Parts: sequence; C-alpha cells; structure tokens
Amino acid sequence: MRADSPGARGTGLLLILSLLSNACASLTPPAIRGRNLRYTQYETTGSVVAAGAVSPGSHDGNVWQRTLPAHLAFRSAVGEVSGSTRRISGELSRLKASHRGIAGRARGIFVRYVDYGEAQLRWIDTELAAATRLATAASEVEDPDMQLALLRLAGPRLEAAMMGSLLLAVWFDFLHLTDAALSRHLYGVETMFVKMDRWQKMMEPSMKVLSSLEPEQVETAAQDVPALVGHLTGEFAAFLEAVHKGAMVLETVLVLKESMEALTLVSALRFSLPRLLPGAGPATLGVGLMVGSNGVMMGTRLVVSAEWVEMMRQLVRAGVLSVPAVSAAVRIQAGQVMMAEAHGELPRGVREALGDGPEVRGMRVTDRAGAGMARPPHHHVMPKEFREWFEKRGFTGEMDIDQFCVRLEQAHHQAIHGGGDWKLGRTWAGEWNRMIMKALYDAETRAGRMLTRNTVLEIVAEYMKEYRIPMNFIRWRGR
Amino acid sequence: MSDGRAWQGNVKARLYERVRERGYDSLTAFAEARPTASLVALADELGPDDIAAVQVFSGLVAEAERSRKVTRLVRGQLVRELSQRLPNGWPAVLDDENRLKVAVALARWGTYTPETHKERADKIGDALLVTPPPPGWRPLSPDDELLLTLLPDEEV
Repeated sequence: MRADSPGARGTGLLLILSLLSNACASLTPPAIRGRNLRYTQYETTGSVVAAGAVSPGSHDGNVWQRTLPAHLAFRSAVGEVSGSTRRISGELSRLKASHRGIAGRARGIFVRYVDYGEAQLRWIDTELAAATRLATAASEVEDPDMQLALLRLAGPRLEAAMMGSLLLAVWFDFLHLTDAALSRHLYGVETMFVKMDRWQKMMEPSMKVLSSLEPEQVETAAQDVPALVGHLTGEFAAFLEAVHKGAMVLETVLVLKESMEALTLVSALRFSLPRLLPGAGPATLGVGLMVGSNGVMMGTRLVVSAEWVEMMRQLVRAGVLSVPAVSAAVRIQAGQVMMAEAHGELPRGVREALGDGPEVRGMRVTDRAGAGMARPPHHHVMPKEFREWFEKRGFTGEMDIDQFCVRLEQAHHQAIHGGGDWKLGRTWAGEWNRMIMKALYDAETRAGRMLTRNTVLEIVAEYMKEYRIPMNFIRWRGR
Repeated sequence: MSDGRAWQGNVKARLYERVRERGYDSLTAFAEARPTASLVALADELGPDDIAAVQVFSGLVAEAERSRKVTRLVRGQLVRELSQRLPNGWPAVLDDENRLKVAVALARWGTYTPETHKERADKIGDALLVTPPPPGWRPLSPDDELLLTLLPDEEV
C-alpha cells in the first residue's frame, strides 16, 4: 500500500513473470518492468480488457497481452496484502511476549485482544490463500474470458482481505499503544480494559462482514471502513490526550514522551496524528488529493504510489476490484481529512487514474444492482444435479460449482432451458444442461480419461459464449 | 456487457433481417460462405450484442429440415468444430493432448447434431478414432471427399 521499496516490487514482478511463463506459451514481457511507463502503455490494453469482458465472443490472437496485466496486478495486490499481514503477524507474536505490558499485566486479561487480532489474521490469510489458488487456476485456463472471470471470482476475497488488513493494522496500533501504556504504568488498568473493549466493539461488525465474503455486504462494509478508521483515529487521539493530561508529574511526562516516540504506527493512523506523533507528516487539512507522476499526492505527501495506482487500475478495469473499494483504500491512506467524509468520493482525476469509467461501472452492475432493484435470480452454470461429478474433477472449495452461478433474466433462463419460441429447428433442442453434460461425458469417454478442471472450464466457457451468457460469476446463495 | 439482449424480442425476425442485410437470402447461404468459421464467429458477424450462436444453429437446422439437407449441415458442423480445435489438421500422433482435442471436438459436434443424426455422428466419431484419417486432414467444407464417404447424403 505504501510508496516504499520500488526495487522490491520490481523483483517481485519479475518473479511472477517467470512463474507465469512456466504456465503459458507466449508472453510479452518488455512493458512489465517500466514503472510509470505502464501508465500510458496499457492505456489501450486496459480498454481491451474491459471490452473482452463486455463481449464474450471476441477472439483475438494476443490472448496473454489481454489478460497478463490483470494477472500481474492481481498477484502484486495479493503479495502486498500478505506482506502487511506477515508484518503484523510478527508484531503480534512480539506483543504476546510482552510480559511487562499487554501480556502480563492484570493477570493477562488483555491477551484476548491480541488473540482477537490473530483471529482476524487467520481469516485474512485464508482468503489470500484462496485468492491465490483462484489466480493460479486462472493462469492455467486458455480462454481469456474465463481467465478474467476466475480473477473476478477471486475479487471479493482480495477486496475483503485488503480492507481487513487495513483495519487489522489499526487494531495493531491500538494494541501497541495499550502495551506501551500498560508497561509504563501510564494509565489505569481498568479504564484501559473498558476502552479496549469499546474499540473492539467498534471494529467487530465490519471485520465480521468482511470475513463473511458475501460480495454485496463486503462491498458496503469496504465503503464504510474509511469512516470507521476515522472514528478510531479520533478515539486514538483522545486516548493519547487523556494519557497526557493524566501525566502531571514531570517524570511521567518524560516517560510518556519517550514511549510515544518509540511507538511506530503501522496503520494509516500515522498520517492522521501529526500533532501527537513526531515524524508524522505535516497537517494536511484543506489539501486535496492530486494525481502526479509519482502517484496520488496530498500536498507534498505521497499517499499511494504510481505503481499501486496502476495495479489497482488494472484490477478495476478487469472488474476484479470495485472503484468504491479501491477509493476507500485510498481515502484511508489519505488520512483523517478524507475519512471524515462518510461517503465522500475521491476527486474525479484520482478516480479515473484508478480505472473508473462508465464501462467499468457497467461491468459490475449485474453483481451489485442498486438497492431496491429487483435482481434476476442466480443459476448454476454447471448443473447442480451433477455436483458430485464436478467435485471429482476438482470443483471443490473456492472452485465449488456454487461459485459459478450467473444472473439471468427470466426469458434468457427459460430460453436456454428449452423454453421460449426462439428455436427454429424441430430436431435440435439446444437445452443447456443436456448440451453441457453430453459434451463433458462424451469428451471424457472419447479421451479415455477423466477431464481436468481446466478442460471442463474451457468447454463450459465455449458454451457460455454460444448462449451469450456473460462470464460474470457470482456465488450461489441457497434458498 | 452482453445483457441478455439476444434473448429479447423476436429472435427469428432479427436473425433473418441481419442475414438479408448482409446480402444472403438464407442463413445457410450466409453460413456456407464461411465454412470454417465457428458458430460464435457467425453470430458475432450477425449481431455481436443480440444474436447468439445457438440461435444461428437453430436457424440452420430449420432450413436444413425444410430443404432436406440435414446431413450436409451435420458435415458442415464437424468442419467448424475441427477447424477450431485442430487448425493444422488431423494430428499425426494421437498422444494424450491431441486425443483430448479430437475428443472435445467430436463431443461438441455431438451436441450440435440434430436428434435424427445423433447415432450416426456417434459412430463416425468412433470410426475416426479407430481408423484415423491421414495426418493433416483438414476438411474445409461439407463437400470434403472423406467427409462425404463417412456421412453421405441420403435425403436427396
């Protein structure tokens, strides 16, 4: 998320590139390494990616050119979030060993808050692992539309993990502060406990929704995270203030000053507490966000790097992440000024740099229609009557056939299941389930071996194009 | 986004309107002028947003039923499937990878075969795997010689 270590990123990209090249035939590597170059270089590719998702029938030769930027961006984004959770994981273990502070004081009643952090870490890591597996599956299928569809399928997981890790970083800062206050006897244990409990309750609902993976709820929760982080920042500042006021004796003041200087915040809080923390950036009140060559700037501070912006842009254009979720992440990084506006939108220039555009909004509209709108029902692409057959061929876990549902209008649904009056010929039924299952059975019999999951996906993708079923999968919600 | 427009309104009217606009008096004539194109490619040419490949095929079936040329359509469809999966012709060696390609092409062909011809299509599929055609065989139209021997017209 932050603008540091561009070198490491470069190496990471190269690594991913070499990993990917094992799995596919033709690559077009030269553009990948340039940083700001990509800004313009993929200007056109970006729209091709979008167009690919729009018209499922399009065939063009440079398949990887179309999907590679999205693949790379996806891997980088996962890498970035895992990097942040790894860091927090290490810090949490360290806190658990803080016997003079959070782990030892008051017979260990504060340990539960470290445990709470670890529990969040676990679900975030689980989602990241699932997202990575989906990305691997995506890189193994040949059909570009199916590749992007699989990346999109992983989108809510990445989105939840990304927002969850931002919140977790904030939680960690609270733990760290509590630890400092406890170990140096800066604050009463009981009041401290009450406060921790309160902060946890503030954070819990959002964390819970994010870990639920219900795409629409995740989306809403993601948009609320900036305001929540804003509130927590206020709490954090107020607590610091209270500690300050309590520290009447000079000695305590010195201890306080020392411990606050030692407190390195990992979350976005550090941008929002300029007065209280030495080394934080200058106050940014009244300074707007702007897109510069280095990334998104707020005054003289770099909020997110150009690389990050480009990564998000690719993911937004491919329909993997939504503009509101990415905007929320930027607003959190921007600090309190931006978070305070509960439903504030980013300046248009920033949104456009992040890939926003009418066609992108249209792409996700089938998944997230506006509130109150009647949404067409879900349908399994792979007939659920044959669930076991698909399970034996690898459709389990995050690749379960329930993940591969589509929303279809009633007429469309009836038509592909043999209804409606579109059929001109009498001797050919063209019913979806029969077509799919016959194709899969016959292919398997003739090949003389069990089909792989990828081959099944390739076959399904082809039929989806033939029925003009948009390749936008959503998860089944049993009724 | 393909938003289901292919399934709204009068499908048949739209299909024939597009065919006429492109200067053909039948869907069959339009399709036979593009003998190796996939059904999706045909549909994309007629209406990338509002015509589906299966609708094109259904139209082709209807015309073939009327003109009693269903067998010819079935041959034509095999040409399309093979062109997609085996653009370089029948493989010289039927290793796992190639066998899978052939298997998928034949399986798909089976799903785009009218009921009346399903059994024959099955048998031809078996025959092609048991006694493979010469390597590089790449039928370019329903008039391909080998195809005609495998599946001769009977209706006329």
